[in-house]
Amino acid sequence: MNPALRTSASGMIAQQRMIDVIANNLANVNTTGFKRSRVAFEDVLYETLQGEALVNYQSSDTVAPVQVGKGVRVADVLRFHQQGSLQETGRPLDLAIEGDGFFQVQRPDGGKAYTRDGSFTLSNTGALVTAGGYLVQPSITVPPDAVEVSISPNGIVSVQSGDAAATPVEVGRVELARFANPTGLESLGENLYRETVASGQATTGQPQEQGFGRIMQGSLEASNVEIVVEMTDMIAAQRAYEINAKAIRATDDMMQATRDLVR
Amino acid sequence: MNPIPGMLRAAGAMAFYDRRQEVAANNMANVNTAAFKADRISAARPSDMTEPIPVEATDFGQGPLRTTARPLDLALEGQGFLVVDTPNGERLSRGGSLTLDGTGQLVVEPGIPVLGERGPIVVTGSGVTIEADGTVLSEGKVLDRLRLVQLTEGAVVVKEGNGRFRLDRGEWEPAAELHARQGQLEEANIDSVNGMIQLVEIQRAYGAAATTLKTMDGVLAAITSDLARV
Repeated sequence: MNPALRTSASGMIAQQRMIDVIANNLANVNTTGFKRSRVAFEDVLYETLQGEALVNYQSSDTVAPVQVGKGVRVADVLRFHQQGSLQETGRPLDLAIEGDGFFQVQRPDGGKAYTRDGSFTLSNTGALVTAGGYLVQPSITVPPDAVEVSISPNGIVSVQSGDAAATPVEVGRVELARFANPTGLESLGENLYRETVASGQATTGQPQEQGFGRIMQGSLEASNVEIVVEMTDMIAAQRAYEINAKAIRATDDMMQATRDLVR
Repeated sequence: MNPIPGMLRAAGAMAFYDRRQEVAANNMANVNTAAFKADRISAARPSDMTEPIPVEATDFGQGPLRTTARPLDLALEGQGFLVVDTPNGERLSRGGSLTLDGTGQLVVEPGIPVLGERGPIVVTGSGVTIEADGTVLSEGKVLDRLRLVQLTEGAVVVKEGNGRFRLDRGEWEPAAELHARQGQLEEANIDSVNGMIQLVEIQRAYGAAATTLKTMDGVLAAITSDLARV
């Protein structure tokens, strides 16, 4: 088979992957705390067909080696951990992080997961859980007689009990985690991420300290997908897909011309 | 029997355009690859040779810069390269989407660190700033300066894939006019319009060579079948 066909096919596959990622970004344009991804491509092996050649013995002119590339591949799908805009909801258990950090949650298998989605609720025992029902770590329990929960920008959770005159009581503090390389986190779905070798180990700390962000009660972090950016990327991917399809067609036509040589 | 010499030439032309098509296909497959440099194949006939030979050149022209706002996207503006360390030795790169590995080391891909003047760059604090002259800062503290280099006169680099270049001949020196651009990516220096034009051009030239070959074959056929009838 003509190698140009396979090269162009790699181009079509790569652009298809880009469309897949864009489609997922667009599908999550309204997902709380969603971080968009982008595909990074890189060229693949080069075949050296003709080494550097001496073409003129007297004046020792040389020509550079002739190299033919074999197409493209997806190098990485990079997640963009930029801040999404904050949306005020007024719901007391909606928390947004403004700045660096992730909420820590306990997965059913015992491992830890990290999220930027702070649409929390209370479990039947009064523990703070994510919308998916996972326990927020370190665990914070709101007593059943609480009438008001307030969470300060530095993460201190205090509750006002039934008696309106009572002073608020501190019941816990939200702790955040951050990573040397958040791009390296593995996405688990449900807005959760898992630590990997690439992300580095989690460093935990209190909000508003050591560079951690602050907690905004009554707000949620919107997805950082920008539709205009996705649309332009989609056009770029589509055009690139088309031109690779055209290249396959052109190669096929050339092969046809070769076949026609035989009477 | 001696074939008509022109037939060999026409066949040679077809092989040449086949090669060009392969190179054009690779350029187009990489139209969305950050910092990709297009290859061009042309034919040259050195003074002491009778047949032209294919000559390949990589076009190191600047690709357009696109702002991505991702802090670790790094583009280069001007002629030159970054130096990266691979298991096979130092290689050159035009930048792209860098990442930090688990230890905070600035890498182009896992295991391939970007080199500063004092070796691999480890980002300790939160946030990285890369200035136009290649100075890498974190939390206001200078960590190192990227090694920005350019090729000396007559140096040749060959592509190794993965956006990297290997020095084939000559050497490199500190770059004179090269700027690092953080939060930007250099797009491939090829566009779809040029790509389409190339495709049409190659296809037509190939078709023309094929037609020439066919015509000469027709001449041969006439000679063998008609003239031979005594």
